[in-house]
Amino acid sequence: MAPDTQTAENKQIMNKNTTKSETSGRLGRLAPVVALTAFFAGCAHVPNPTPQDPWESYNRSMFQFNEAFDKALFKPIASGYKQLTPEPARNCIHNIFANMADLWASVNSFLQGRGHDGVNMLGRVLFNSTMGLGGCIDVASMNGSQRISNDFGVTLGVWGFKPGPYVVLPFIGSSNVRDAAGIGTMFAAGASSYTPIMAIDNVPLRNTILGVAAVDLRASLLDADDLVDRIALDRYSFIRDAFIQRRQSLVQGNRVDPDSPYGTLPDYSDDELPDYSDDEEAPAAPASGSAPATP
Amino acid sequence: MTFSALPQRITFLHRLCLAFMLALGLSTAVQAKQTVDPNAAPNEFVQAVGNNALEVLRQEPAAQQGDLNRINQLVDEYVLPYVNLEKTTRLAAGRYWRQASAQQQKNLVEAFKGTLVRTYSGALSKVDEVSALQILPFRGDANADDVVVRSTISQRNGPAVGVDYRLEKTPQGWKIYDLNVEGIWLIQNYRNQFAQQINQNGIDGLIDALNKQNR
Repeated sequence: MAPDTQTAENKQIMNKNTTKSETSGRLGRLAPVVALTAFFAGCAHVPNPTPQDPWESYNRSMFQFNEAFDKALFKPIASGYKQLTPEPARNCIHNIFANMADLWASVNSFLQGRGHDGVNMLGRVLFNSTMGLGGCIDVASMNGSQRISNDFGVTLGVWGFKPGPYVVLPFIGSSNVRDAAGIGTMFAAGASSYTPIMAIDNVPLRNTILGVAAVDLRASLLDADDLVDRIALDRYSFIRDAFIQRRQSLVQGNRVDPDSPYGTLPDYSDDELPDYSDDEEAPAAPASGSAPATP
Repeated sequence: MTFSALPQRITFLHRLCLAFMLALGLSTAVQAKQTVDPNAAPNEFVQAVGNNALEVLRQEPAAQQGDLNRINQLVDEYVLPYVNLEKTTRLAAGRYWRQASAQQQKNLVEAFKGTLVRTYSGALSKVDEVSALQILPFRGDANADDVVVRSTISQRNGPAVGVDYRLEKTPQGWKIYDLNVEGIWLIQNYRNQFAQQINQNGIDGLIDALNKQNR
């Protein structure tokens, strides 16, 4: 069944390319990744297709792969790091990397025309870099400064690009077509929150720092991991839906725009209205590759 | 090579974590024990509920040591009375709610309650790391029956986390029925999971799945 699923994947990509020329470049960049990883896509049955996740069959397979890999390698390393390193040292390391991410978030706020956020975040970085000893201590947060997360995927969203289907990337995890394109673009352009590290000429030193950054990232997720295990009915769906909501809220900037707190509230109203169509279609919908690919 | 992409996943999952840990926190920071008046302004109501829950947790040695069973009890006692569990469950079930019998609806609420309590408890087991709950100025129509109260929860290490509460006015006063942590609404996040279970195994299947987790 694997080849079937693979061709279905590719067909969907082809369709996207022809129907949405604006996304073709980004998909082109993504295509090799998808083709390569479609290998892992078995003939998983998708009992409850979600419009935002037309590639669920592939995504679930990649999710399983990531989880297995994480369990075998990343998670044990991160747990060991957490046990062996004193908390103040860990916090310091974490804050230094977060400070770099803040700088990149500030750049993106400016790109999005959210100058107020950009200035705030820049001030935060300057304060932490100086008074906070190179970012080691998050003095800005202690003084009431809020972090406004941002990245290039959000910038693309603010510029009007739709997120496209949800996609689970190898090793990286949750993403969507737009954000994956953002990652690809930034990698090609050499601009990201890791730019200051990548600028280090001493290769072993640079790689060591990148390694520490990766371990720090994974370690910071250990608690979340456990919590999701305790409260999620289906880990895959839980993480997917949280990701989709989170990215959407970042693009909308609903915590930033003071004028429309209600414009972004979820609409649960189909509870009140009869909806006959879905009742009929849901069980009859064909499985896996032929699921509709409307983003 | 892939590192340039990691921050996205991180920010997202990290937030999610803090989120649930602190949020529910619903509660979280506290000065002194207050009387909760469900008929007060929504902002004051949330502040009072949050402050009380936090205060109680800080005074409990068992809770401070991360005894989840004890925290569950405290959450049950100090937070849940102000939460409209029935509405949360009904909205999470969406159109399937009407397909359920009265008994099934009752069982479903009871089963989902376990998940919600665990969420709050996981959160509150870290209550010590939380330093303050700040309610943001109320926006929108103060006379509405369905309002959002926004807050930030600051912690000792790291930036504040944004948490919103969605409240409904009932004859008994305000009740919380939905919660947003850094852009993620609780009910919204369970809708697909519920639908998935119901499509596969029916409403009883969903109840079983929830109860299995409760054990």
